[in-house]
Parts: sequence; structure tokens; C-alpha cells
Amino acid sequence: MSDSIIVRLRRANPVPEVATAPGMELFARITALPGDSRLVASERRPKGHRAIVLAFTVLAAVVLASTAYAISHWLGGDVVKPPVTKREYVAAQKLLTLPPGYSWPTFRFPPDAENSVTPRGAGGGHAVMAAQWSWECYWVAAIRTHDDAAAARAHAALNTLLAHNVYEAPAGAPEEWTPSPLPSQPFMVYAHDGGLERTRAGYRLAAAGDATRIAQSCRANVPG
Amino acid sequence: MFAHLGAVAAYARRRGSRDADAVAAEVMTIAWRRLSDVPRDDPRPWLYATARNLVQADARRSARAAAHGAGEPGDLAPPPEIPELDPALTEALRSLSRLDREALLLVAWEDLTPTQAARSLGVNATAFRVRLLRARRRLRARLDDSSNGSHDETTHLDLETT
Repeated sequence: MSDSIIVRLRRANPVPEVATAPGMELFARITALPGDSRLVASERRPKGHRAIVLAFTVLAAVVLASTAYAISHWLGGDVVKPPVTKREYVAAQKLLTLPPGYSWPTFRFPPDAENSVTPRGAGGGHAVMAAQWSWECYWVAAIRTHDDAAAARAHAALNTLLAHNVYEAPAGAPEEWTPSPLPSQPFMVYAHDGGLERTRAGYRLAAAGDATRIAQSCRANVPG
Repeated sequence: MFAHLGAVAAYARRRGSRDADAVAAEVMTIAWRRLSDVPRDDPRPWLYATARNLVQADARRSARAAAHGAGEPGDLAPPPEIPELDPALTEALRSLSRLDREALLLVAWEDLTPTQAARSLGVNATAFRVRLLRARRRLRARLDDSSNGSHDETTHLDLETT
């Protein structure tokens, strides 16, 4: 469309450059969430839905591998089957805390999970993410209800999590980067793309009473 | 779908979101959860529609918070729906209804075809083309008025008009 008005508007575009591609940390966070349950349910349907189910399954398997690369290699870089990842997840729950009223979300695998693998330690990384999201949501509620004690508790819990269970890969590090020596605690790794600093900035705002950023994170992640 | 994250963030930024990256991340999260609703061949109209709803919801929340006097007024003021451009263009765009403005911007800034833009707005393509034509005419007339110095300074901008 080359109408002069459209051309003038195009020239005035305030954000002419499309921003960057998603960082692995964000990609991992999103794809670690349960996908569309309708796609899984449609597996029972015949014919036309099989392609969608297949696409979802393949995507989920790829995603699990990618997710694991992006988040955590708790005890090493090798890959493990889903039962091991689930055991890691359960073990990590004993080392992390959730806010009052929250429970650990179910660790979901795609329908063909028995054929998928994740790097060792991914279960621990998922537990760290679940704890982080839960405390963020708890903090939002505390700020909105003016419960200063609960807000302080959430702030302290998230600071502890960032200090002991969250790492940032160095600039230019490969996706499979892990801290050395390997931590004894479950951990997740943020890519060096500003994601961790955005998270810290959100916490600083929340500590000042502005829940906007952590509310967005809470809405996006909704722990179980 | 994830390949469009940058485009969605840019969309949110162009619509005045103060935290466009967070909006884009939320859009992707919603899309992931509703994957069966996202057109696989062309997800952008769906993604932009979701981003639009989030940006508008944030603006409404901020406006409500500001109305209730919570926090610093500067922090809670609703984000501008269009960023500051050259004053005449800004004024002319603001004089349009929200739907007219969005129709123009989807084509001009998001580079959607009229069919894609219609899908994003949930209207049929024919109706969209008519709206786009009228919006272009109105914008041009407004800009002409402005350049001729005949702009009525008392005109009120109705950002809620659809």
C-alpha cells in the first residue's frame, strides 16, 4: 500500500527496528509451562487432529530439550529420562520453600514423554522457577493487601533464591553453560541478555511498593 | 510463533506500552497456552490482537490507579496510546477513533495487509477496507487542516471513541 498518508505514517514509525529474538531464558520459562491441553486431549480424536498432535509432540520434545539447556544442569551435562527428572524435581522441593498456601505444580511431560530426554538437573531448575513464580505472586498479593510482613517475607525469599539458586551465564557463554564448580543446590541459569537484571529491577520496584512488574510475571506464569 | 516476539514487543512499544518486553512475553505465554487458537500459517494478527488487549488493559489499570490517587501520579499515569511523533501527525492521529487509528497503524507500522489487519481486529476484510479508506481520508483532511492553520484548538480528543 503506497498511499501518501500511509507512506508518511511509515516514515514516522517510532520503532522502525524490530527488537531482538527471544532469549533462551524467556523461551525456556514459557515452554516450561503446560501447553494447550486441548492439543493433548485431541490425541484421542481421529484423522485430522493427528497432525496437530504430532506437531505439538515434536515441538514439546524439542522444547523440553531447549528448556533444559536454558535453565539448569544441576549435577552435570548428560541427559536423563523423565523419571529421573521427576525425581530431581521432587528432591529439589525439599531444599526450596514455597509461600504459605502454595503447592508445587505438577511436572508435566508431553504425551510421548517416555521417548524424550532432558539434561540432568532440569528437574531442579523447574523447582527453582516454580518457587520464584510462587513468591512473586505471593508478593503481589501482599503489596495489594498492604501486608508489609508478607511482602518482606517474599522479598527475603526471592533475594535468597537469587543469591543461592539463580546464576547468570557470562557474556558469550554457550547455551549449555553451567557454574563451576557445580552448586550443591538446585539452580537455574539466566542467559546473559538482561533478563536477570530486569528481574532484579522488578524486585526493586516491588520493594518500593510498585507491583507492576512482578504482577506481570505472576500473571504470565501462574504457579499451581 | 516465538520468532515474532520482537515484532510483538515493537507493536507494544509503538502503542505506548511502558514495558513492551513484558507485554510481548505475556503474549507468547498466552499463545503457548492457547496454541490451538493461534493460526499456524500466520500468527501475527492473533499475536497483535492479544498484545492490544494487554496494552489496553494495562492502560485501564493505570488510569484506575491514578484516579484513586495511589502512588506517584507520574508513575501511574496511563501510557500514551501513541508515542510522540511530529506534533501535527500526533494530533491528527489522536483525532481519529481508536479503531480507525488502529486500522491505519496496523497497515503502516505493523506492515500487515488489509486482510491480516482485519483478522487482527476481528472484522471482515471488506468492512476493514472501508474503514481504512475512511481513516486515511480523515487523517489526510486533519493534516491538511493543520497545515492550513485552520485547526480548531477547542477540539477535544476522544481516545475512547470507537
